[in-house]
Amino acid sequence: MAEKHRAHIRRGIELLPQLGLPQDSALGDLRWTKELILATWWQALTGKSPENIEHRIGASGGGFDRLDFKLSSSGIAAEQVSLSIPLNRRDSGQVTLSLPWYGGGMSLGSVSLNFMLSRAMAAKAAGTLTSTGEGGYPSELLPYKDHVITQVATGMFGVSEETIQSCRVMEFKYAQGAKPGLGGHLLADKVTAEVARMRESAEKTSLYSPFPFHSVYSVEDHKKHVDWVKTVHPGVLVSVKVSTPIDVEMVAIGSYDAGAHIIHIDGGYGGTGAAPEIAKKNIAMPIELAIPRVHRYLSSEGVRDKVTLIASGGIRTAYDVAKAIALGADGCVIGTAETIAVGCTHCGNCERGRGCQIGICTTDELLGQFIQPEWGARRLLNLYSSWAAQLRELLASLGLKSVQELRGRKDLLVYRR
Amino acid sequence: MNPLTAARRLLPQGAVPQRSEDEGGCGVIGAASAKQLEGKYLLTALRQMKNRGNGKGGGIAAAGLDARQLGVSARVLEEDYILQVAYLDPSARDEVESRFITPRFRVDKGREVAMRDYRKLGLEVPPPKVVQYFVRALPAELESFIAKHHLAALTRDAAEDEFVYQNTYLLNSAFYSSLQEKRAFVLSHAKNLVVFKLVGYGDDVIPCYKLENLRAHVWIGHHRYPTKGAVWHPGGAHPFIGLHDALVHNGDFSNYSSTVAYLAERGITPLFLTDTEVAALLFDVLRRTYGYPLEYLIEALAPTTERDFHLLPPEKQRIYREIQTVHLPSSPDGPWFFIIAANAPQSSGYELIGITDTSMLRPQVFALQGKELGLIASERQAIDAMLGSLHEDGKAASSRADRYWNARGGSHTDGGAFVFTVDRATRELRCADKFGREIKVQHPDSAAIPYDIHNADSGRIAAMDLAAFRKHALGIAAGKDKLAAVEALTGLMNLRYPSKEPRSALLDVLDEALVKALSGLPRCSWATQRKLPKPGEALAVDCQDFPVEGPESAARFVVKASRMGWKRLLLYHLRGHRFIGSGLGPESALRVDCYGNPGDYLGSGLDGAEVHVHGAGQDQLCQILKSGKVVIHGDVGQTMGYAAKGGEIFIRGNCAGRPLINAVGKPRVVINGTCLDYLAESFMAGDPLKGGGFVVLNGISAERGIEELETPYPGGNLLSLASGGAIYVRDPQRKVEESQLNGGKFAPFTAEDWKLILPYLQENERLFDITVGLLLTVDGEKRAPEDVYRKVVPAGMRH
Repeated sequence: MAEKHRAHIRRGIELLPQLGLPQDSALGDLRWTKELILATWWQALTGKSPENIEHRIGASGGGFDRLDFKLSSSGIAAEQVSLSIPLNRRDSGQVTLSLPWYGGGMSLGSVSLNFMLSRAMAAKAAGTLTSTGEGGYPSELLPYKDHVITQVATGMFGVSEETIQSCRVMEFKYAQGAKPGLGGHLLADKVTAEVARMRESAEKTSLYSPFPFHSVYSVEDHKKHVDWVKTVHPGVLVSVKVSTPIDVEMVAIGSYDAGAHIIHIDGGYGGTGAAPEIAKKNIAMPIELAIPRVHRYLSSEGVRDKVTLIASGGIRTAYDVAKAIALGADGCVIGTAETIAVGCTHCGNCERGRGCQIGICTTDELLGQFIQPEWGARRLLNLYSSWAAQLRELLASLGLKSVQELRGRKDLLVYRR
Repeated sequence: MNPLTAARRLLPQGAVPQRSEDEGGCGVIGAASAKQLEGKYLLTALRQMKNRGNGKGGGIAAAGLDARQLGVSARVLEEDYILQVAYLDPSARDEVESRFITPRFRVDKGREVAMRDYRKLGLEVPPPKVVQYFVRALPAELESFIAKHHLAALTRDAAEDEFVYQNTYLLNSAFYSSLQEKRAFVLSHAKNLVVFKLVGYGDDVIPCYKLENLRAHVWIGHHRYPTKGAVWHPGGAHPFIGLHDALVHNGDFSNYSSTVAYLAERGITPLFLTDTEVAALLFDVLRRTYGYPLEYLIEALAPTTERDFHLLPPEKQRIYREIQTVHLPSSPDGPWFFIIAANAPQSSGYELIGITDTSMLRPQVFALQGKELGLIASERQAIDAMLGSLHEDGKAASSRADRYWNARGGSHTDGGAFVFTVDRATRELRCADKFGREIKVQHPDSAAIPYDIHNADSGRIAAMDLAAFRKHALGIAAGKDKLAAVEALTGLMNLRYPSKEPRSALLDVLDEALVKALSGLPRCSWATQRKLPKPGEALAVDCQDFPVEGPESAARFVVKASRMGWKRLLLYHLRGHRFIGSGLGPESALRVDCYGNPGDYLGSGLDGAEVHVHGAGQDQLCQILKSGKVVIHGDVGQTMGYAAKGGEIFIRGNCAGRPLINAVGKPRVVINGTCLDYLAESFMAGDPLKGGGFVVLNGISAERGIEELETPYPGGNLLSLASGGAIYVRDPQRKVEESQLNGGKFAPFTAEDWKLILPYLQENERLFDITVGLLLTVDGEKRAPEDVYRKVVPAGMRH
């Protein structure tokens, strides 16, 4: 049965991009247009840019969809362009990513184990990272631990010393841009025996992550929190994920002061269907506004080169990555682009354990078999390699030899009305 | 309209400011003493809380000073305002004096405060030069001020207060505006109270202005942790002033702008752009402009809400409702904790006031030693550090307080605030809660309550004076088997028994004997840690010089020693060392014993190891505890067992707020005292009868035998928002009400439940001498478990 479904799904997402654009399709929305979804499927299948589908921008009419690059011709060959970024700019123990993006937090429970494995395999092969989210650290991920970020979020589900010690980067998730101030939730239907075991909770009981951390009500509490993790795992890189409130730059400098290596700001465009509709896009500041503010502020405080700024929340394409970096980020975190790569149609039924017909956001045993780890990893790697080629080409045409040179080059951007 | 509010209409009003500086937590300490204390006694406490600040602002205030030290007569000290001006630009002095001091005041004395070279103290920003002016308003100036502002209805003293206040406002506006050059500002202008502050840590202030030997009845000190802005000014450091008072703050408001708007309506514009300044101004408005007694003032700042409100007497409810109607929009919202030093005319003495917010979101500990000393701090270890340095110089009866407690913010029980007052005439110290009820120290000798004592010595101890007890303790320490000696002394520390002397004095003796006994064991310290003996039965670790956090911390040393093969570590001289027991990793079999004051996050992440604290714990203990055991022979602070997954915790005393919040899995916890509020909020610990987790809440005090507390649980939220787990509350008088459950419900207490909790109560008996027999005894009669214990489960849970 699983095999039959699997075959149909694969056939569908392989065929659709080749059929041309369906006129009255329900696929997509203004941000994730049907073109972007089909283009992502195409890239995940072929590893190449599509020729006849818009794969650079969506149709939201704002933000990254209005930004473009001032291109010029330069003598730089795309192959010479470096895409690597360092994550640790403040002390010893370097971690360098081959690509200026990595996978965002998706917990076991919110997504299936097979999809987590796909992401981990791809991260290892591509020289980047993936994140367990808040929901435990399945032992199947241990072979990939040097490419794993584990999250300590406000519910601290599945967090133990062992999980903190089995990762390269430990991320404190203070808030999510899709639902700042609302904590997290996993409804009873998704809390299967396996999920409950990972989170050490009871089966079929709704789980709730509070807002905020009850042990952190101030910046000095936060420093203590960071010191704690460094006691458990000396040498771990610490990332602090926050949403983009009005005083986001204060949060960023406070995080840096407290010892963070990475400040991860998550804007309001991201989030799956499990985030409340009212919260998405309505609370957090758009990421394209937050990045330059934080970049400028960290620069004026003289610490910009001692901390890595990562942006997320609506990064859909290699071009979004480039725009975020030009606005001042060092790199990006992606989430939805990865689910789309393995067949997500952006239907928004993520919160129900058996609502995901593709088998991504599910804890159902049967649905969870729709994605096989190797197949998923292949799709993700294809997407990455298409993005990398696009990014190299873009940088070369901007006359830049390294993605690090793009950081903060707002002068290379134009606003298209 | 209030005459003072009307009088301020003539002041130049600045634009209502935007807060430009953000800050989070801070380190705070305050002390009130019947005898004047020298400034140097704040140093250790402030140094040990450095990790609560970031060196970008420190300050102190002192009230109830010594006239001789200041070079004035007692009368001048009592009657004159001490206008204390900070000159960031010393060349501004002539201008300040000729515009705001000499034409307006009679200056009885002016003196420049001596300073040490700031560079030698390691300070980056030059601290301001400080000049103290002892002043009274010139009669003619005051007359014309009264006439111009229509203040004839006020007493002359009150009018002069306002004269001083407005003069400072004008001086600051002219010389320290947020928008222009910053040349000078007024540090303080109260009578018999001074403030010093600079860019640095709180403890830098004392050597910088040579305050080591300055004597005062009330002291407060503060480290600031601001996070925004690259340029720092001492004006932004705490304390901030109203008129008769100085205020330090830990936390931040979320309603800064509405509080500022409230002040603006009363003619007051903040100049220093932090929420702490706004808090100080608000305090002054409530106390001086409106003349509120402290109780109503505290209610206006931290309103009594929900169930606590309904438990107030009807008359209080009526008044509080009026206060809340007027003041709720301006009462500071969010996490905050204020410590205030004051010398107010309406009070009988110099005051030290601690007020916590209604939700109790900041750490706070209060303490009292005899009739001599009252203390307030962010951490208990800071209180003990101050007492320790006083005791060393023979200025405190013991290095411990006789009583420590947390305030329940916005509550009907204590009102979340305590006031220590040193009477100006008698110099007696009095401590009272918000409602004016006196807090006193009770010595064990005052109670001959029967107590099951396992320790064979205890009968003899009742007859010993301190010298005899010391001989006895040192005799134990001299025993051949040192580990047995340590165990015996530890027993004497942990158990309660009748004695002639206050317990705090016995504990000092036991500290001394313990160190002697520990010296006979394999041992190491910060200096000798690299030359460790071969792993044996137990290693004693003198933690005094270990850093409290970081890669070289005591906590990391524990991990290192454990990896070398040590199975038991005895840590002593702990002074706020954080994260003890963290980093050991899964399935540890280590046992750690802690003496002194282990700091925050003890046992967090513990997975298999055992940690015994022979004293009290601080905040955030046992976060994500997975397995293993933590035993605390005293009280613990905020948020214990947050997101715990399992393990066992035994607490002899009380917890502050939010124990076991968001815990899942199967933690098993016995709390013998009670907790302030929010016990087991969002508890998700399955069904305890099928392997899930639970908390036994005994609701007793085990200080003098076993006494039932007034109620086993005073809070308005028990097991709220929970989806699993249970609370077994010892409540033979059925005092806990449905209205406290807020998402929970009572379930029948069955034989199965008793079978589940009995082994934990038996372990509790073994650890603390709190016997199951006595727990089941009510009004002298032994009762069945189901008549003593009640079970609370989440409302949605099926049975």
